[in-house]
Amino acid sequence: MAKTAIKEEVSISELIDRPWITIVWDDPVNLMTYVTHVFIKLFGFSKERAHELMMQVHVEGRAVVTSGTREEMERDVQSLHENGLWATLQRDDKI
Amino acid sequence: MSSFEKVGDGYSLDLTLDEAHILINLVEQLLELLGEGDFFHHYDSSDPLAQLLVMPSEIVTPDDPVLLRLLPNAYADPEAASDFRRYTEPQLRGSKQKNLRLVREELTILVDENHGGVIEELNADVWLKALNDLRIALSVRLEVTEDSFEKFELLPDEDSQKPVYAVYFWLGWLQENLLGLLL
Repeated sequence: MAKTAIKEEVSISELIDRPWITIVWDDPVNLMTYVTHVFIKLFGFSKERAHELMMQVHVEGRAVVTSGTREEMERDVQSLHENGLWATLQRDDKI
Repeated sequence: MSSFEKVGDGYSLDLTLDEAHILINLVEQLLELLGEGDFFHHYDSSDPLAQLLVMPSEIVTPDDPVLLRLLPNAYADPEAASDFRRYTEPQLRGSKQKNLRLVREELTILVDENHGGVIEELNADVWLKALNDLRIALSVRLEVTEDSFEKFELLPDEDSQKPVYAVYFWLGWLQENLLGLLL
């Protein structure tokens, strides 16, 4: 799926131009299959990519799911909240 | 045991009357908590009249832990979080209310006619989100953790939390059942 490839490849220049990230946090309630389903539905990730991110949330307690402008990340966080996932946005502190 | 089924392009749910009662009861409690009767009842962010009447200054971080989990802070920074909440919370609250009302509408038919039965051509996405919000609400009240299933199994039958846990895990089972058809 072309859309997935674009979403997954975030170049360095993009990170400098658009240094905001959306983080999904682990909670003991949301089912693993549900989290995977929401990632696929909202961000068009492949099943494999969605599963990988879900596992990262589950094991590490958090995962960066998208990056972009502040406005884009606010929309992503709002969509995640509509689906009951616990998400926040912040500036990417790696930069 | 009730379950979702894929019928053609759509989905259906077979419920007993008892199950329909449990679900509609929870849906109504959560609608009550979300403030169904209040100003946001018919809030639609695209409606200019609603935008005109919303008083962002009155929207503050909820005290109730269930509401705070369903309508969480978007930023770690309290000031940024409350700014964001002021302009986005009505829409978020409204979308949750809309899902719950739709589910309630479908359950009402069964409950009013006083029998179990099949809800045909249900909106799977709406049901998934509503079931998830109900589970979240119960989990906050039950203080659910990763090992809650073991805790539940060890609870004596007379413990008042036992039936609540049972409903919580049943909702999880239902949600998993529907996800199995979607994924």
